[in-house]
Amino acid sequence: MTHELARVSSSVPGMDRDPTLLARRLERLRALDRRLVTAAELPPPARRTAAGADPGARAAHLAAGLGGTVEEGSGGPVVVVERATPLPMTLDGLARLPYPVDMERPLVYLDTETTGLGSAAGTLAFLVGIGRWDGASFCVRQLVLPDHADEPALLAALEAEIPADACLVTYNGRAFDWPLLVARYRLHRRPPPVTAGHLDLLPIARQLWRHRLPDARLASVEAGVAGVRRHGDLPGALIPERYFAWLRTGRAALLADVLAHNREDVVSLGRLLGEMSERLADPERRRSAHPGDVASLARVFRRDGRQDEALACYAEALAAWDEREPAPTRLDRDTLAAEAARLLSRTGRHAEAEAAWRALADRGGSTAVWACIALAKHREHRARDSAGAMEAALRALRIVERRRAVGIPLRAAERDLARRLARLHRRARARRLT
Amino acid sequence: MRLYASATVAEVLDRLLADPAVAAAVVADRTLPARAADMRPFPDWLDAGLRSGLEGRGVTGLYSHQAEAIEALRGGRDVCIVTPTASGKSLCYDLPVLQAVAEDASTRALYLFPTKALGQDQLAGFHELADAAGIEVAAAIYDGDTPAPVRQTVRAAGQVVVTNPDMLHAAILPHHTKWFQLFEQLRYVVVDEAHTYRGVFGSHVANVLRRLMRLCAHYGSAPRIITCSATIGNPGQLAETLTGRAPVLVDRNGAPAGEKRVLILNPPVVDARLGVRASAYGLVERAAVTFLRADRQTIVFGRSRTSVELLLTRLREALREGRGPVGRVRGYRGGYLPSERRAIEHGLRSGDVLGVVSTNALELGIDIGRLDAAVLAGYPGSIAATWQQIGRAGRRRELSAAVLVATSGPVDQYVATHPDVLFEASPEEARLDPENLHVLLAHLRAAAFELPFEPGERFGAAPADDLLAFLGEDGHVRQAADGRWYWASENFPASEISLRVASPGNVLIIDTGGDRPRVVGEVDLFSAPTLVHEGAIYLHESRQYHVDRLDWDERKAYVRPVDVDHFTQAELAVTLKPLEAFASDAVPGGERVHGEVMVSSLATIYKKLRLESLENLGWGRIHLPELELHTTAYWVAVDPAAVAGWRRDELDVALVGAGRALQTVASVLLMSDPRDLGLISQVRSPHAERPVVYLYDGVPGGVGLAARLFERHAELVAGARDLVADCPCDAGCPACTGPRLESGGEGKRLASRLLALLSGARADIAGAPAA
Repeated sequence: MTHELARVSSSVPGMDRDPTLLARRLERLRALDRRLVTAAELPPPARRTAAGADPGARAAHLAAGLGGTVEEGSGGPVVVVERATPLPMTLDGLARLPYPVDMERPLVYLDTETTGLGSAAGTLAFLVGIGRWDGASFCVRQLVLPDHADEPALLAALEAEIPADACLVTYNGRAFDWPLLVARYRLHRRPPPVTAGHLDLLPIARQLWRHRLPDARLASVEAGVAGVRRHGDLPGALIPERYFAWLRTGRAALLADVLAHNREDVVSLGRLLGEMSERLADPERRRSAHPGDVASLARVFRRDGRQDEALACYAEALAAWDEREPAPTRLDRDTLAAEAARLLSRTGRHAEAEAAWRALADRGGSTAVWACIALAKHREHRARDSAGAMEAALRALRIVERRRAVGIPLRAAERDLARRLARLHRRARARRLT
Repeated sequence: MRLYASATVAEVLDRLLADPAVAAAVVADRTLPARAADMRPFPDWLDAGLRSGLEGRGVTGLYSHQAEAIEALRGGRDVCIVTPTASGKSLCYDLPVLQAVAEDASTRALYLFPTKALGQDQLAGFHELADAAGIEVAAAIYDGDTPAPVRQTVRAAGQVVVTNPDMLHAAILPHHTKWFQLFEQLRYVVVDEAHTYRGVFGSHVANVLRRLMRLCAHYGSAPRIITCSATIGNPGQLAETLTGRAPVLVDRNGAPAGEKRVLILNPPVVDARLGVRASAYGLVERAAVTFLRADRQTIVFGRSRTSVELLLTRLREALREGRGPVGRVRGYRGGYLPSERRAIEHGLRSGDVLGVVSTNALELGIDIGRLDAAVLAGYPGSIAATWQQIGRAGRRRELSAAVLVATSGPVDQYVATHPDVLFEASPEEARLDPENLHVLLAHLRAAAFELPFEPGERFGAAPADDLLAFLGEDGHVRQAADGRWYWASENFPASEISLRVASPGNVLIIDTGGDRPRVVGEVDLFSAPTLVHEGAIYLHESRQYHVDRLDWDERKAYVRPVDVDHFTQAELAVTLKPLEAFASDAVPGGERVHGEVMVSSLATIYKKLRLESLENLGWGRIHLPELELHTTAYWVAVDPAAVAGWRRDELDVALVGAGRALQTVASVLLMSDPRDLGLISQVRSPHAERPVVYLYDGVPGGVGLAARLFERHAELVAGARDLVADCPCDAGCPACTGPRLESGGEGKRLASRLLALLSGARADIAGAPAA
């Protein structure tokens, strides 16, 4: 018996002796149910095109198809497409709003299109749109990756677009675009560009315009806030496949819609900032703004510690809701009024606060419970009016009991009132005894 | 009724062997001699803080294996350390890592453990040593339980990152750009409990390590790999296959050990004709109780969760009768709360816990100190695991004892009748096959996602271009104009791979017994028809689940936990077609072959078998589609001339019986579950036109089992021949050729004759088949 094979450790002895063996094994694998291997729907196989052979030709072909130019860098070619859109708006008011934006710094508007979601190493940004704005004309410079191999060139070109003192303006860029770009620099072992600030408009938009928007997608926000409707906009979910299709087929036209979509997104960033600046920064112009926006702004001011401006916005929003157009719901309006009243008492304007609570108490509903409790607190501790406090607390109790009777108990209020009333009764008894 | 009185291990053994029931069951009684410590001084380059830290804990020098390991690492080599339980193995990697951190605080190290619990245990030990040495080091666990804010800190500043292969594969490697500090400064990669990385899991882990090393090269680091393994037959080869590099093998244990007595007990035969033996539990209880009553710290290993609980109950009852230390005997298995487990581990170290009944959860390197005795309720399935469990008993100086009680299962009986397998033969080899095409392609996708491939770049054994071109046919990978291969898909390939199973398309196992459905595990597609068909009892972490419904299209099995006294075994109607022979060779009686095959299987029925006795309790039908498995196989084609004159039915019975015996011996030789190897026999193979017995690898592409069986053909046939010959049954039993078959109960004799023929004996010696 021979043991010549005894030292072979691979499971496939003979692989090294017969070079065609792997090919035959792969052929059999091909014949198997491919889903077992790939688990995904298969796009059509790659086709070599004339444009694919030579990197320079490929980039030139893409630039011609998109109406751009090829910029040759040390890391390869990158296609640059530049378009300007008139956008006469002023950002002067921005500095008065409670957002971390330094108007002394150059604002760089940035939006990427990528081959997937997330920032794992296999996802890349194949298009970076950079916006610059002089107050009249908004210019978008788009850097397009002609081929996987040209990524170092794109990253170098992007570096040149972002000065170290720049403040980025993005939409969800803190969570997505910027970390993805940083990952690309890391992957290529280059330091990512340094920036001085980053204003992400997504959380701002979500907060500011939540009263009147169905969702926080940039296109929805833009439509709702600036009244701009896009026509034939490419849905974001289709974008990665468009790029892969370009890589496979070399048809530049596939990317035209993607560039248009990206350009719209970058311009939108400017437009949203302009809207904020023009409509919300100036107290006079704010009067004509949407009351919900002013209400949101009141809260932003409050969180930022700018209480006078917060109170002014609260008052404007409530007045507009009461006089001009009704609030979306009564609860929205009363919640806002309660916040305003709370801020009034916290800033020591007790008389105004009491009036506000009284008005709320008279309106009834669940907010009235807390308004009555606030009144009871005010009368007991500040006005030293035990009887008035008792009256307010009992009024709250009546509402709470009615609520409980219909099966909507307000437990926190019940607990508060139980304690409060017990104390007030005890005091009243003590006074009767003396 | 004996009372509770302290006695030495030697006295307890005398007591035990004086018991006629025990004495009659002894099939082996060996004494392993004591071994003195082999000490080396601390090397002079050792950091002063580390040295004084160690001295402060009473460590005055290094064991020889520790010294060899750290010197080899100092010399820039990879190391593979093979040592038994509790021999100071962790120091072999903790010491060089701490030394490196002391020399250069920017140093990073990555520790890989197969389970989370082991990682936690080792991290605690690492921190103790670092504190004693006064070295500030940020060491942290990064696994599925790590909270998001902590993750960011670990990524940016963790000098020692403790994780598991699954996490490395799915969370670290695909996100390597967030870990660039780690990859740039990685000095050491520790792969502990490497013997657990075998089979499909090992094949995956080897590819995960390839991906890791590829990224390290990209970021400019060249870490040394420290592999630690329990004693197995091929530790160096395992480490080399796993890491792709040849390490310095450190396998001489310098830790001292006292004398150890090892007994193997085989319960008496109660029905000789059917080969049925008494349950192992009686003897396990007798042995364990004798040790516990004598105040000797004892660990009892059960093979499943159920058997652990059963044994625990029996032990406690027996101890209560004899007024023994009932409260100091605890159970330990998966499903206990981590805090409970920590308390038991601590109790074992302090001596407060006298006895513990455990599943193999305590087989791995969790620190429980050294005990007086280990009692194994059944052969743990491999020689290596047996020594791991036996190794839990072992004092530095005094005598310790280990008792293995065989069950009536075939592999147990093989060991009980051939105790030399345990004492003389080298332990099993861990087999894995990183080149398994299915596994390799899956990881190649993940690797391309992580970093483009250079033209001609190797991934494993060979340049990856052909394979990448193959992947390119799907469009998920493309070759750009610069010749590199780039990932070109929205998919996240790492999420399509589960390291613990062979191929995508797994069937998820969903427990519907709780408040809300919970995924308890998954099985690969090819195992699903036999493991999770409707009505099956599925075992997960030794827990029994009943499969209520199998949604084949959705790949989901709905189960609920049950506690029953039986398990299920499905029957497959299997057809096999050889595709290509990689190697073949003439052997006595025919030919041995290794090659690629296509196995089509259709699950037909299942049987309910009683645990322990394997008594048949009923059956049911299985309705599932046919599956095709493309894998590697080893087969023996019998020379038709050698069996001329055999009737077809005789040959059939002989092939089935011989095949079962071969399968049993193969699983002993290869350290694999018998279910990992499929068996099929053909009286007249349509291809070879000869009688053939096939043993095929049960996962797509195989994990190298078939190749190794081909190499060890002679041992395999001889082992099977002896197994059948030495079995006390008269005409075949589950322990040798399988249950008695038709054909007049001649199965055993016929199988015996066929195996004799294949092992080179002349036909006339074995006797003619009965007419």
